[in-house]
Amino acid sequence: MRYRITHQTEYTYAMPVSVGHNQVFLRPRDLPHQHCVEHAVNVEPAPGISNLRTDFFGNQTMLFTVQEPHTRMLVTSISEVDVTPRQPPPPGISPPWNRVREAVRKDNSPAGLAALQFAFNSPQVAMFPEATEYARQSFPEGRPILEATLDLTHRIFKDFKYDPTTTTISTPVQQVFSQRSGVCQDFAHLQIAMLRGLGLPARYVSGYLRTFHNEDDPKLIGADASHAWLAVYAGSGDPAADGWTDFDPTNDLVPGEHHIAVAYGRDYADVSPVKGVIIGGGDQTIKVRVCVKPVESQG
Amino acid sequence: MTPPFATPLPTTTPHALCGDYGEADGIHDEMKAADGTIRPHWQLFGQQLDAMGPAEIARRWSHGQRMIQDNGVTYNVYGDPRGMDRPWELDPVPMIVSASEWADIEAGLIQRARLLNAVCADLYGPQTLLTQLGIPAELILGHPGYLRPCHNMPVPAQRYLTLSAVDLARAPDGRWWVLNDRTQAPSGAGYALENRLVISRALPSVFRDCRVTRLAHFFSRLRDTLRAMSPRVGENPRIVLLTPGPFNETFFEHAYMARYLGFTLAQGDDLTVRDNKVYLKTLGGLRRVDVILRRLDDGYCDPLELRSDSAIGVSGLVQAAWAGNVAIANALGTGLLETPGLMPFYPGLCKALLGEELKLPGVATWWCGQPKELAYVIEHLHELVLKPAHPGAAARGLGGKVIDAVFGDTLTQQQRTEMIGRIRERPEAYAAQESVNISTTPVWQDGTLMPRHLMLRAYVAAAEDAGGYIVMPGGLTRVSNAADSRITSMQRGGGSKDTWVISDTPVSTFSLLTGETGAQVTALSNDSFDLPSRVADNLYWLGRYIERGEGLVRLLRAIVGRLTGDAQPTAETDLPMLLTALDAVTVAKLGKKPEAAAELTPEQRVLSVMFDPQSPYGLADTLTRARRLASIVRDRVSLDTWRILSQLDREYQESEAELTGTPPNVAPLNMADMTDVLDLLNRMVITLAAFTGLGTESMLRNQGWRFLDMGRRLERAVNSIDLLRAMTLKPTGHEGSVLDALLEVMASAMSYRQRYLAVPAALPAIDMLLLDETNPRAVAYQIAQLAEHLDRLPRQSTGDSRRGEDQRLVLNMLTTLRLSEPARLAETGGGDVRDALAFGLSALHAQLPALSDAITRQFLSHNAVSTRLGQPVAVMAPALTTSADPEND
Repeated sequence: MRYRITHQTEYTYAMPVSVGHNQVFLRPRDLPHQHCVEHAVNVEPAPGISNLRTDFFGNQTMLFTVQEPHTRMLVTSISEVDVTPRQPPPPGISPPWNRVREAVRKDNSPAGLAALQFAFNSPQVAMFPEATEYARQSFPEGRPILEATLDLTHRIFKDFKYDPTTTTISTPVQQVFSQRSGVCQDFAHLQIAMLRGLGLPARYVSGYLRTFHNEDDPKLIGADASHAWLAVYAGSGDPAADGWTDFDPTNDLVPGEHHIAVAYGRDYADVSPVKGVIIGGGDQTIKVRVCVKPVESQG
Repeated sequence: MTPPFATPLPTTTPHALCGDYGEADGIHDEMKAADGTIRPHWQLFGQQLDAMGPAEIARRWSHGQRMIQDNGVTYNVYGDPRGMDRPWELDPVPMIVSASEWADIEAGLIQRARLLNAVCADLYGPQTLLTQLGIPAELILGHPGYLRPCHNMPVPAQRYLTLSAVDLARAPDGRWWVLNDRTQAPSGAGYALENRLVISRALPSVFRDCRVTRLAHFFSRLRDTLRAMSPRVGENPRIVLLTPGPFNETFFEHAYMARYLGFTLAQGDDLTVRDNKVYLKTLGGLRRVDVILRRLDDGYCDPLELRSDSAIGVSGLVQAAWAGNVAIANALGTGLLETPGLMPFYPGLCKALLGEELKLPGVATWWCGQPKELAYVIEHLHELVLKPAHPGAAARGLGGKVIDAVFGDTLTQQQRTEMIGRIRERPEAYAAQESVNISTTPVWQDGTLMPRHLMLRAYVAAAEDAGGYIVMPGGLTRVSNAADSRITSMQRGGGSKDTWVISDTPVSTFSLLTGETGAQVTALSNDSFDLPSRVADNLYWLGRYIERGEGLVRLLRAIVGRLTGDAQPTAETDLPMLLTALDAVTVAKLGKKPEAAAELTPEQRVLSVMFDPQSPYGLADTLTRARRLASIVRDRVSLDTWRILSQLDREYQESEAELTGTPPNVAPLNMADMTDVLDLLNRMVITLAAFTGLGTESMLRNQGWRFLDMGRRLERAVNSIDLLRAMTLKPTGHEGSVLDALLEVMASAMSYRQRYLAVPAALPAIDMLLLDETNPRAVAYQIAQLAEHLDRLPRQSTGDSRRGEDQRLVLNMLTTLRLSEPARLAETGGGDVRDALAFGLSALHAQLPALSDAITRQFLSHNAVSTRLGQPVAVMAPALTTSADPEND
């Protein structure tokens, strides 16, 4: 399936901004089941300078500076991505979770280290005992890790309510847990905290989701948003796979052809789609428009 | 009569300071050996101390302390009731280390710097430490100080550490052990330098005779190294010292070091990144910065890519470093190496990376992230010192404070259980160290020498051609504040010492370098002294507050002079006018009717304006503001200027306590003797005159001076207009005496008498105080000076060739004054008010604030606030579960 994704972020300022430094994570990753065919980011006003860099987690990031006074900045990212169906490993035959926990701590290979770093606290996700306790119910000793994670995903979906009015960008995971509500980003952070609390590496995935509303309904164009879910590390048993399996607690499923991954990080703070620091500006408003549209593959 | 070195002093030394000094008790003492003898390298010093005797030492030391106060050596302690700028605690007795012992320490320190640099280069590069050398990933990759955006960032010459420090302590067996590494922005080197300056002046002959190794060389090498790091080869590099700002605990040192090394002191706001290059915002525009010596911790350096919860850094700095356009010392990310968690691995790493045995041992350390170590720490917590292996996570909890070390033996059973619970929760965040019985050294206390525990912070700088690193011969010795305390933290009330490295044999090859007299700290030339806009702003306001203070003091003196018996017979007529003027320059500025003031006696009004910190535009408030600003721009004002401000402050504070019988900053309740008040005011007039004198005579006529002077001129114009409006608009029958008082307050009485030889009359007085451009106290003179300053300051070239708004305003004022006819201004025109004068003065009164605003807009508004952009939340709602999802079919 090929998707054409338009992701616009628009800032308007009450007063002129003299200079703005920005960093974006907008380019969909190239993965075994996903190929970014085309990608372009357009910024208005045009940045004085723009740099590409590959970050610690292998994401492509763009850093740019708008150096002329402006009261509005529009960042438009257009990507075309091929996503092929993938077979998630059958949950029942994955290794016992407690063995994964031990093995990853003994694995000094670069891949092992790359996984282990996702087992620690990170800027926005701190483990806490209540979350670990909650998770433990799905993780009896010896249970296959993916089966247990799927169960946990299902319980979060069941026990937590989607409600964008109850959280903001800075709501701590602990509060999400106690109030039992939040948005996709909060659920991803929460499940990551739970898995890490059990000693398992879990990473944050920032991306998009294809929705199935009527694509010709003009009211719904741009009604999409960026999405977030997580992945758990089940060990590098299979050399063809990297050992990571995605889970989407907001939708209670294992992501497949309708999820487009953009960036991996320890949490949102590592891969925020658009961030920046401006000089001046006064009050600001932000508007985000996302459109994920299936297109005919060129062949 | 200094005895020659080889000649023993008379044995009949009248004092036995050293002999009486403490008994050995199993702990190593730096001065006294276990058998009670004075160690060889202390003997000469000890003899001189004994020869001097307690009274002489006390006398000299009071000079030393005065020097600390006058030089404004301070250390800010958060939450200290004494507030900001606590005087630096220094002990007159230096810590002495023999040259031979120092040679060993030096070699160990150099090796350690090489080792830590190699460790850093690996962790931010290939990471073989993690993949092959057995360093636990959790310790590094789980550490919040491991800066992922800096991984693989190009660091020129792989030099991560340019200036680092090591805390050393001596165990009972006499060996030195490493307690801490300070690898990102070590503090204290500047204090060490200042300590040396004070001690060498307080004890000049002792210092000379003991043949102490000098420090200056170390700093000039450091400076050379930093210059050579500039990415722009062949250009004169611009180096800034990046400070978190005046609220930082060691801000004094930042300003001191910047001044000493000839670097520009900059806060994050003073710098900006454009085109991946770092620039300093100066009055003349943006100036490229090549090297940053930072005193800002890693995480705070770039709010874009590093910690986003703080805006004190420089947005875009990480990218500028990636682009290779700026060198940062120490490299970003080096804070990671401060974790004690790495200490147990250094002996092995030293062999693996350098092929050498570790020369300087680290104190035994257990990182709790490993099961065996964790078990040991839990079992032995009562005899260990617990430290955070990850910053901040630490010892939070005991009393709610973040502390850098917890002594296990001070914990109650319950606290220990609680602490163990915390460790078990996040073992990787903790490390424990052996509690060392660290050595003692004598400190001066109430006329005797007392033993105190000490820790020595030694400094290592990278050097181009000296095998990589050089060591400061000496360092900052810190001592505990009580005999039984092992904590040697300045933050918690300990003291400091100068550290002497001396030859302990009479036939040493050490030579007294010719021409070097004492430890004169020669300020290195400064060739990059750009004026950041923020500093110009601060100088401008410093000028305003100083002038406001002077105006007030002069007015108060005139009033108090009339209140004390010896006043002129005219007091009855001019005193009310002077009190009206006092209201005009104080309470009336807030737009308040001075009703409350009217109920007070003149004495009470004077005391309130002088000492009540709540009194609007009062003296207490004005001096506090002036001192605050001076401390922020202390790298820009001369030492003498600083001393004058200190003296002013001291005179004021001491007199305040004496006169009002209340501690500083409490409103005076009782009446003070007006003669004493007059005495204080007289002294303050002289001190303030000294400030002006130094300003005019010893400051370079650079942009900084112009802003200081513009502030003064503007404030003096404001003050003069207030006085003129209060005292000349409504002539009374006794105008001569009122004008006399006004001339006195405006320091023009003598000029007037010289010129007119008569009782003051309105016309010539108004002419002299308002219009006369040759009288430095006249309003017109101030405006003319402002006009000249504004014409000479650099302006960013714009297409607009017209004068700036500030220039137009000042020209308008100047022209109005020049075209005024004195005779018309002095007329009352039939009524009882001088209408023309009132009109002219109120126009000026309104224009001056507008001018001040225009100056701010023109020159000082570069520092707009930087804020973070709001970040889009991923808010995707459940979308697939209610739809036909082919995948789940």
